[in-house]
Amino acid sequence: MTETLAGRCIIVTGAGDGVGRGVALACAAAGAHVIVGTRHENGHAVVGEIDARGGRAAWTQCDVTDEATIVAAVDLALERAGALHAIVHNATSNRSSEPHRLEDVDRALWDEHAAVSLRGAYHCARAGFEALRETQGTLILMTSPAGMEGTVGLPLYGAVKGALRGFAKSLAREWAPHGMPVNIISPLALSPAMGRAIEQDPGVGERLARRVPMGRVGDPEHDVGPAVVYLASADAHFVTGQTLAVDGGHFMNL
Amino acid sequence: MLDGRAVFVTHGSTRLGGGLAAALGELGAAVTTSADGFADRAAAGAAFALAPAIDLVVHVCVDDAALVPQQLADTDPAAWDARGEALLRDAIFTLQAAHSRFAPTGTGRIVLVAPTSGFTGAGGFVPVSTAIEGVRALGKSAARQWGPHGITVNAVLVPPALVAPELVAATTFEAPPAVGRPPELRDDVAATIAHFASSTSGGITGATVIVDGGSVMAP
Repeated sequence: MTETLAGRCIIVTGAGDGVGRGVALACAAAGAHVIVGTRHENGHAVVGEIDARGGRAAWTQCDVTDEATIVAAVDLALERAGALHAIVHNATSNRSSEPHRLEDVDRALWDEHAAVSLRGAYHCARAGFEALRETQGTLILMTSPAGMEGTVGLPLYGAVKGALRGFAKSLAREWAPHGMPVNIISPLALSPAMGRAIEQDPGVGERLARRVPMGRVGDPEHDVGPAVVYLASADAHFVTGQTLAVDGGHFMNL
Repeated sequence: MLDGRAVFVTHGSTRLGGGLAAALGELGAAVTTSADGFADRAAAGAAFALAPAIDLVVHVCVDDAALVPQQLADTDPAAWDARGEALLRDAIFTLQAAHSRFAPTGTGRIVLVAPTSGFTGAGGFVPVSTAIEGVRALGKSAARQWGPHGITVNAVLVPPALVAPELVAATTFEAPPAVGRPPELRDDVAATIAHFASSTSGGITGATVIVDGGSVMAP
């Protein structure tokens, strides 16, 4: 990959595994200094991988439900790289893929979903605003077809993913006068939860792949990563408020 | 249009909710309203219990207090919650209360009403836009889960001018209405909602209908 992101510093939340890890690796490979935000120590391993490939990264303990840890991530970016160019808010609740009926859900399950996805986005935007404004930097969020066409199994997940599109579009308009893009990606790539489901029942993977025009589920680093690299680069400075599906053609209904 | 039909309207204390309740009444419905949003499931259930019958639930997704323009960077956590997440919780509790009423009867109609500004985006209104689009997505999932129980869930989006003057200033990018006039609350918006209460509406669910005279058009 060319060094599209040379000299740029990017925070990735939920970067310990799955899509977040792939995005962190791809951004580092494109030359970015990556701040790997994870709640648990697994972020160290991602930093180790980036180091081993000759890239630059630092780990920060980051719980997106706690604004102070995002502030600390922004401070770390400024300390390590002198500037911040992008925040990729990828973290979702550990309970995201837990099937539920809307008539049965309680406040606690909703709060799990909302705290990580929505409050996390709010914390990233608020804590990152000043630093991103300095660089005409960007905020990148993650959505899902569940947020656009609903889902029969995960209504609360669909709600926060739809909500994030509303968040992205309104913030895109709000930040546009500062030259700061806000966009949202709808990825289809192998997450740990999807990996476990396929391990238990290989038919799950086959059925999913059949519904993807390109015939397979994506790879976080090599399929989704490049789209984030583009949106985080200066090349995408005129792209804002957009939903970009990076999913082999899985969702085309927009 | 709604003679003999019982309609429950939420957020009746708001400009949009109060206006819709009156308009649906003028179209012949027996209307029960709740004044404000629900803070928990029990409150929603108690409010619904006051209505002897309900054929159609019209949930107004926004509250006037949520329609205060402010940059997100200046929005404190309490305001974020009140203008954003609280409206999502309110919608969950409302949908649950509606489901409790409708599921035993095998039929029910739910219409979610919100300004188009969530769909188009509106600077200064990030929390409420987040809530509107979240509720609209929630309605689609509810439509998928509850369709087999005879319950439909649809959304009707209306122009910002019918919701709050503050919102109009933030959506000046909107094209003028194609039909040359803004929609009337009763004869355009309430009449569209009334269609969802009719016996011929059962095949429509998870849909979003924009009733704004052709200003905003879905991609």
